[in-house]
Parts: sequence; structure tokens; C-alpha cells
Amino acid sequence: MLDKLKGLDKGQYSIFLILAVVILIASFLSENFMSPNNITNILRQVAVITILAYGAMTLIISGMIDLSAGSVMAFAGVVSVIVYKDTESMLWAILAGIVIGVICNLVNALLVATFRTPAFIVTLGMMMMARGAVLEITQGQNVLQLGDFVKLGQGSVGWMPLPTLFLIIITVVIWYLMSQTRYGRGLYAVGGNEEAARAAGIPVTRVKYQAFIVNGVLVGIAGVIFMARVNAGLPNAGVGYELQAITAPIIGGTSFSGGVGTTAGTLAGALIVGVLGNIMNLTGVGSYIQQIVMGLIIAVAVTYDVWSKRGKRKTVILKSTDDGPHGGTTRSPDGDTGAPPGNQLSQATTPR
Amino acid sequence: MKLFNRKIATVSIAAAAALSMVACSSSGGDAEGDDGYRVAYIARAQVDSFAAWLANEIKAEAENYPDITVEVFDGQADDEIENTMIENAIANNFDAIIIQANNGEAQRPYIEQSVAAGIVTITTNPRVEGIEGASSVDASPFDQGAVVAQYALDQVPEDAKVVVLNGPGGNFHSTERRKAWQEEFFDKRPDVEIVAEDIANWNKDEALRLMEDWVLAHPEIDAIISMNDNMAAGALEAVKNKPNFDGILAYGVDGTPEATLLIEKGLMTASTLQNAEELAELNLKTVHDLLTGVEDEVHVDIGNPLITSENVEEYLELYKSAGLID
Repeated sequence: MLDKLKGLDKGQYSIFLILAVVILIASFLSENFMSPNNITNILRQVAVITILAYGAMTLIISGMIDLSAGSVMAFAGVVSVIVYKDTESMLWAILAGIVIGVICNLVNALLVATFRTPAFIVTLGMMMMARGAVLEITQGQNVLQLGDFVKLGQGSVGWMPLPTLFLIIITVVIWYLMSQTRYGRGLYAVGGNEEAARAAGIPVTRVKYQAFIVNGVLVGIAGVIFMARVNAGLPNAGVGYELQAITAPIIGGTSFSGGVGTTAGTLAGALIVGVLGNIMNLTGVGSYIQQIVMGLIIAVAVTYDVWSKRGKRKTVILKSTDDGPHGGTTRSPDGDTGAPPGNQLSQATTPR
Repeated sequence: MKLFNRKIATVSIAAAAALSMVACSSSGGDAEGDDGYRVAYIARAQVDSFAAWLANEIKAEAENYPDITVEVFDGQADDEIENTMIENAIANNFDAIIIQANNGEAQRPYIEQSVAAGIVTITTNPRVEGIEGASSVDASPFDQGAVVAQYALDQVPEDAKVVVLNGPGGNFHSTERRKAWQEEFFDKRPDVEIVAEDIANWNKDEALRLMEDWVLAHPEIDAIISMNDNMAAGALEAVKNKPNFDGILAYGVDGTPEATLLIEKGLMTASTLQNAEELAELNLKTVHDLLTGVEDEVHVDIGNPLITSENVEEYLELYKSAGLID
């Protein structure tokens, strides 16, 4: 047991420690903070961003990025609303949102994985195309009178808001995918070292397609929940959400260089952002100061990521005589080794 | 060399495709405008629902002027893009340019260039003040705020606790509307306490999140005072089905389709209409008068009608006929 604990990366639990400290401080700052209503509030508020963050996490772990998430979310959400208004079917509406998310991400995948165009550029283009598409179909006007569609964002099961329930289900699915399946192992391997992954027989192109498809499903669901929550199809929704979605995994320990990250860390990162926003609103901190605080957190998280990786690289080099020539493995801190069975891939020692 | 050739070929194909699209989109305008006036309408941002509505109304109203062809450009809420579009319109010898500034001061030098080039220049929604030779068509944001603030004077209960939602920092319409609320309401009602005030950037979702937190920190809130309807609607979503907030007063500005629906249901109290249809009519009339020499310079405002439960039907009809609500 002790050996197991020793083997844990500091980053795997420090994020939860930070979350606990933030919650503790927040509970002293406002008597309302720990009230059941507020806890429900936070869980409802973080749902959309956390779902987007899981998508961002899968892409960042596999060495890619999605700058189109906010625009595609708006596109998917508005189409979902329109389909609901036409069919009055929740199922068709949700499917429509997911289909739009997946189609946009398949285009991203085609250009990134098949044509090897940088994800940054491709998704920047998709950001504009998706926003243009949603503006074109709505002519810039909000879609109103949503009827029962709002239940998807405002309804609840018992005390639990539906967005929170969706978030819990999605968290479990993503955790399973990332830590218990070949899909997850492929993502870590490709993000850790693409060339090594290819040499090890991992279908890199397929893995990238899979990452974008999962992202598309998540972005589509986020769009549906978002529009239901605000009770309107807003074509201008989600501006800047792609960056907020990237923030949560980065704070939660996902490395911008790829190959490292956890579902639990992303959830914790999203909760830290959500709790901080909530406590600042409860205590009347203005939006300008809130932006400074959030910016500072991102800068510190990324700096910590770079700094800790530099430390690791030194450590791994020293350990290389014990661990073989590669000196270490790509690690999924959810408990699994990132490399596929039988293929222990180097991450930390390989310059990228 | 092979790679270089391939790159050249790729760029050429992309450029040819882009040019053919531009040619297709502009050819219609040229055909119609051969004997008429070419007007560039530079919109603030198509993602802004009011700006989009105004752009649509401008296009529709232009149909009533056979001697005018309007081409609409999207400033994408970006000063740099908007300024570039003004420069392009000057370079392309448009007869008139109507500019919906993203940030009046940032666009000022470019608007001045347009005037200096002898082009009929109009600033609209908002007006950019003090440019000699330029005309303007606007709705006064101060008056819009003042109309609804005066209406609230008698409605907001004594010692009421209110929350205030503002637009983006430094935005002319937001600051003028807030100034009107200060002068016409808060200065006259010192008993009213602002328990929370923040920026929600005109956005419904940001206002919703703020209000969700505020209702926990301040269990007694009597009124929502918002600088636009979108934020008021977002705040109202947060108190929906919360018995403690039944009958909460909510004031906005813009008279959006959503606001009129909320007023009809008794959920929102009042708004001031910023009528894009009227703005468009006035803009086209002004530009036509200026181009045909009927006027040399025009500065005109549309009205600021108050929308309440008593007259909301009239505005619902307006939006139904425009196809914006069912």
C-alpha cells in the first residue's frame, strides 16, 4: 500500500488538496457557501463547462486542441432547439445536437488526422465556420418559446438538477473510456509521443478521429444543456467557452504537451473555477477582479505544469538505469499506464 | 521544387475560389447599382442580436429605394475589423457609408477619412459625436434608460433592495443607460439599496449565473434593473419557480421579442423599445436625402416608447409580423 502511495505523482492529489483548501476558505468567506442550495447551484453551473472540458482534455492528452468548441456548441445547441420546435421530440433534439457536434469534429479530424494540418489552425477555421453557420440559420436572432425543452437544463430528479445528472453520467463514461479502454490508452500514447506510438503499431490516425468524435458528442450535449438552461437558442452563445474549457483540464494537471491528464483532475479543475466564481459572486467581487484572479490561476497552473515536467525529466534521466533505455512510461494518472499493453513508451525523456 | 509547385497550386486554387465567391456575391449588387447609389452598411457585429436585427431591417428597407443598393459588412465586434471595413468601403468608392460603430472613438479617425473623401457618412446606433460633415441617426441611450427609470419610480417599493446588471465596461449605451438610472431613479430614491451590481456583458447566460449566486447571498431582492433585456431575461430564469421571488420587478431596455413575451406573461415589468425597423427606415431616408441633395447634414433620433403590460400586445404584433416570434 505504501509502495502504491509512493508511486503516486504529486500532481494526482495536489489538485484535490487545492480544491479542498478553496472550499474551506470559501466556507469561511460566506455563510451561504455550504448551503445545499448553493452546492446544487455550483454543480448546475459547472455542468456545461465541465462537459466541454472533458472534450478539451481528450484532445489535449492526444496532443491536439479545439478552438471551435464554443462556436460548435452554439451551432449544435441552436439546431437542437430548432429541431425540438419542429418535432417536439427531446430525443430528436438531443440527437440533432450531437450529430452537429460530431459532423463539425469529423471535419476537424479529417483535416488534422488525414491531411496533417495543425489542429490549432483547423479548429480556428471551424470556429468561424460554425459561428457563421449558426448566424446564417438564425439571422442573428435568438430562437424563443422553447416549451418543455427547457427541462433538459432546468429540470431536476429529486434534488439533483438534470445538468448535474448528465455531468455525473458523462464523468463516469469518460473516466471509463480514458482509463479502462484501448481508446484511452491510445490517446495517452499518441499524445505522449506520436512517432513512438506509430512505431508501436498504434493506429494514430484512428485515435485522432476517435478523440474528435468523442469531443463532438460532448460539445453537442453541452450545447443542448446550455440552450435549455438559458431558455433560448442563442446564436451568440459560447463566445470564449473554448478557452474556459481548456482552463479546467490544465488546472487539473493535463499537460499542454500531451500524454498526461486525468478525468478526475479535469473535474477538480472545473470545480475550482466554479467555486472561485461562485464565492466571488457571493462576496460581491467585481467582474474585473474576477478576470484577474482567473487569469492568475491559469498562469500559475501552466507554470506549475512546465516546472514540474522539467523536474520530472531530470528524475527520469537519473532513473534510466533501472527502468531501461526509455527511462519511464507515459502515465495515465487514473491508474493506468498510458502505453498500450506490451508497448512501454517513453514520454518524459523524449524531446518533442 | 515539387513541394513548392504544389503549394503554389494550392494557394492559387484557394485564391480562385475566394475570388469567385466575392465575384458572385458582388455581381448582383453591381447589376442593380449601375445607375444608382452604392451604400455600405458596416454593422457592429452579427452575433449581437440587435445589430443583426438592424442589419436585416436595413436590407429590407433598402428594397423600398430602387436607386439604392446596400451592401452589408460585419464588423465582428472588433475595432480592427470594423476600421478595415471602413477603409475598404472608402477605397471601393461607395457613394455612402453607414457605420454602426463598435467603439466610437476607435472608429473616429476612419469616419473622418470617409467624410474627407467626400463620401456621405452616417453614424448610427450609436452616434459618434462631433464629426464635422457626418450625419447621424440614433436612439438616445440616456433617454432609453430614463424612460424606464421614471416608470420605475412609482413602482419600486420603499426601502427596496435591487440588483443592477450592466453591459460591457466602457460601452457607450451601457454607461449612458446606467447614468440615466442614476439621475432619474437612484438619486431620487435614496431609500433604495443596490445589494449587488456587476457586468454581464449583455449576455443572458452570464446574467443567469450572477443572479443564481446573488439570490443566495441576498434572499430579499425586490427588483432587477438591467441595461438590456437579454440580461434581465437571464436573471429572471434564475428566480423562476422560486416562491420567494414571486412578483419580482424587472426592468430592461431594447424591447426585444423575448422581453415582450415576458412582459405579456407578467414576468417582466417594463422595457424601452429600441426599434430596429424605425432606425432602418430613418437611416435609409437620411442617406437618400443626403445622396440626392435634399439635405446637407442630418442628426435625428428615433422615439423611445415604453413597453408595459398595458401596451405589450402592440409590440407582440410587431414581432409576429416580422416573423421573430410565433
